[in-house]
Amino acid sequence: MIHPVQFLISSRDGNLLFCVIKNMIQVFKVDVKINNCSLIGEWIDEYDNKQLIKEKVEQEQMRQLAGNATKKMKTNDGSIIEQPCKEPKVPVPGPGAPPLYQYIRCLTLSDDESILVACTDSDKAAVLFKVELENANCLSLLKRQPFPKRPSAITFSADKELILADKFGDVYVTSLECPVTNMTPEPVLGHVSMLTDIAVTKDNLGKQYVLTADRDEHIKISHYPQTFIVNKWLFGHKQFVSTLCVPKWKPNFLFSGGGDDSIYSWDWQEGKLLFKFDVGELVAPYLTDFHFPPERFLLHDGTTRKELSVVKILSFEQLPYLAVIFEATKVIFILECNKSTGELTLHQKLELNSNLVSLAVAEMTNQLVVSLDDRKNGQEELIKFFKYEDGKFTEDESKNSAVSPILKSSLERNTISQVDADSIYPLYHIAQLRKRGDHYS
Amino acid sequence: MFLKEDPGSRRQAYRAAKEENRKELKHVRIDPTAVEGDGKIDLPKKKFYRQRAHSNPFSDHQLDYPISPSEMDWSKLYPHFYSDVEKGMLKKVTITDIGCGFGGLMIDLSPAFPDSLILGMEIRVQVTNYVEDRIIALRRNHSKTNGYQNINVIRANAMKFLPNFFEKGQLEKMFYCFPDPHFKQRKHKARIITNTLLSEYAYVLKEGGIIYTITDVLDLHKWMVNHLEMHPLFERLDEAWEAEDKCVKIMRVATEEGKKVERKEGDKYVACFRRIANPEII
Repeated sequence: MIHPVQFLISSRDGNLLFCVIKNMIQVFKVDVKINNCSLIGEWIDEYDNKQLIKEKVEQEQMRQLAGNATKKMKTNDGSIIEQPCKEPKVPVPGPGAPPLYQYIRCLTLSDDESILVACTDSDKAAVLFKVELENANCLSLLKRQPFPKRPSAITFSADKELILADKFGDVYVTSLECPVTNMTPEPVLGHVSMLTDIAVTKDNLGKQYVLTADRDEHIKISHYPQTFIVNKWLFGHKQFVSTLCVPKWKPNFLFSGGGDDSIYSWDWQEGKLLFKFDVGELVAPYLTDFHFPPERFLLHDGTTRKELSVVKILSFEQLPYLAVIFEATKVIFILECNKSTGELTLHQKLELNSNLVSLAVAEMTNQLVVSLDDRKNGQEELIKFFKYEDGKFTEDESKNSAVSPILKSSLERNTISQVDADSIYPLYHIAQLRKRGDHYS
Repeated sequence: MFLKEDPGSRRQAYRAAKEENRKELKHVRIDPTAVEGDGKIDLPKKKFYRQRAHSNPFSDHQLDYPISPSEMDWSKLYPHFYSDVEKGMLKKVTITDIGCGFGGLMIDLSPAFPDSLILGMEIRVQVTNYVEDRIIALRRNHSKTNGYQNINVIRANAMKFLPNFFEKGQLEKMFYCFPDPHFKQRKHKARIITNTLLSEYAYVLKEGGIIYTITDVLDLHKWMVNHLEMHPLFERLDEAWEAEDKCVKIMRVATEEGKKVERKEGDKYVACFRRIANPEII
């Protein structure tokens, strides 16, 4: 079967589509005028992390040997003897060992769309590419910078510095020019929690800020580049935060979502919660058995307590709409935002035949692109486009019929996207961010 | 994870009795005229509150914390400083002991700063219970003078949730006494002083506020001094200042760890840093 597109982003005009399938990035150029779509770039993460693991194990071995050498042992009569130099144990992955993943997690384009960054699982690296459309393969590798912990979100500052947030709660800044280093960099700011999203924005005076969201309800705002000065926290979430969205049409607004039943609308500059849009009831009809908490956290009191998780909130350059998707559901919500009060209302619901996996927008041309988990539906639709016309979003049928078959046949021929049903990237991984407070002491 | 404990054990019985006592006494204002007899209650016994020495600050503990500082109800912790007339607190917490352990420092700070509210934060359940019971007993035993009304303790993970409790610039003094040294290189992020956490401490400290550190582990001392010196919002106070400061004196002798080091005739390393003004925003 064809592996679903696990992550996708679009250029602002909607002509370029960057798709992630397992450990592969594919770039498609979509030309609606001549009803065509062509593969113009590809990169496959072939990094072999066996070497990396071997190095780590050897290092650990050395450390343990050195540690053993310094230890003294006492006999029963109290005299000190040398510790017999035990061979350290090196774990060997057996049949039950967790598989080694080589997935690509996220993609980000720089504002001028000349640089693409991908995060890899294999060596926890940020991989930077130049996007050059005139080349046969539009992606050319600039550098591959490994980090101490797995990156979870990336963005760019106004001066094109790369700002990267990791699963350990740290944020690092590197410039595009600086050479690859093995030195452990110093984080510029951090949370004692897993970071889920990061954004950079400016206030009315043109000063820059970094916004970071974590698994413990927190959204922190720090100055940039003076990241050691915390400006404020935005308090209000009661569950994890998974996505941040600063609209271009009002950079002092912020929309956030995660494990709560609401989409939060903030004036981050004022530190004010403007509005909470309750989506709980609206989303409820789209939730399935997937959305129950794990068995041991079920209350068994007759209540159905399905839990929703917001995957992504995206905005457009001009239109006052937000596109929102929820994990493992078949619906896109289009919310309308009052540009002066921040109030949100439901504008439209777009229902699909399969679960949504990833959502992207072409901000400039008001298009939506989604990738679908159509494993149950005969793999008819991998990707779907929506256009904006007369105040509504509708399926872009000409684009869909032009692009779909080409995309499908391209992926069908590819050895990476052709997979067994059991070797699919974990498409739904956001719900597990929810805290259960299962550590007592 | 719970350790299996014999439900009939003396420790369990003691803990259950104290639990009841806490529920009853914790949030009531003690009226000295109503105390029967000499009214004294025994101080809690530490042996009944033993618990593992460490707690992982990265785990998801079951913790109570306010959504934001404005949601925090301080009147329950410091009933004596709540005004029924003004329907609000007369004071805000300005002194914190992060990782307060068995609470020795707070108990000595209490009479030294009678007009300041002092809060201990401790992540270990049983240790927090001990401090609570100790404060309950002390308040009761000093009810005539309203002693120890200005200190209290909460179970909290200060590394994660400090900003949930305190507003920007609220604190005047923050104590870090004998913190967990976390010797292993890869555990260094679990240390209480890191460059990223210092930015958060700088946020809750007011300009001129002080961070006090003391440890018997030279490596950790060097680490803390190094990180605080590198941080642009802190400057070190010299030995002459330390010699004059009453908190330094208290800190050297008051904590349980400090006393233990004293008994073993170990070294104690002190470093104090002042929160300086934010530079101009660029």
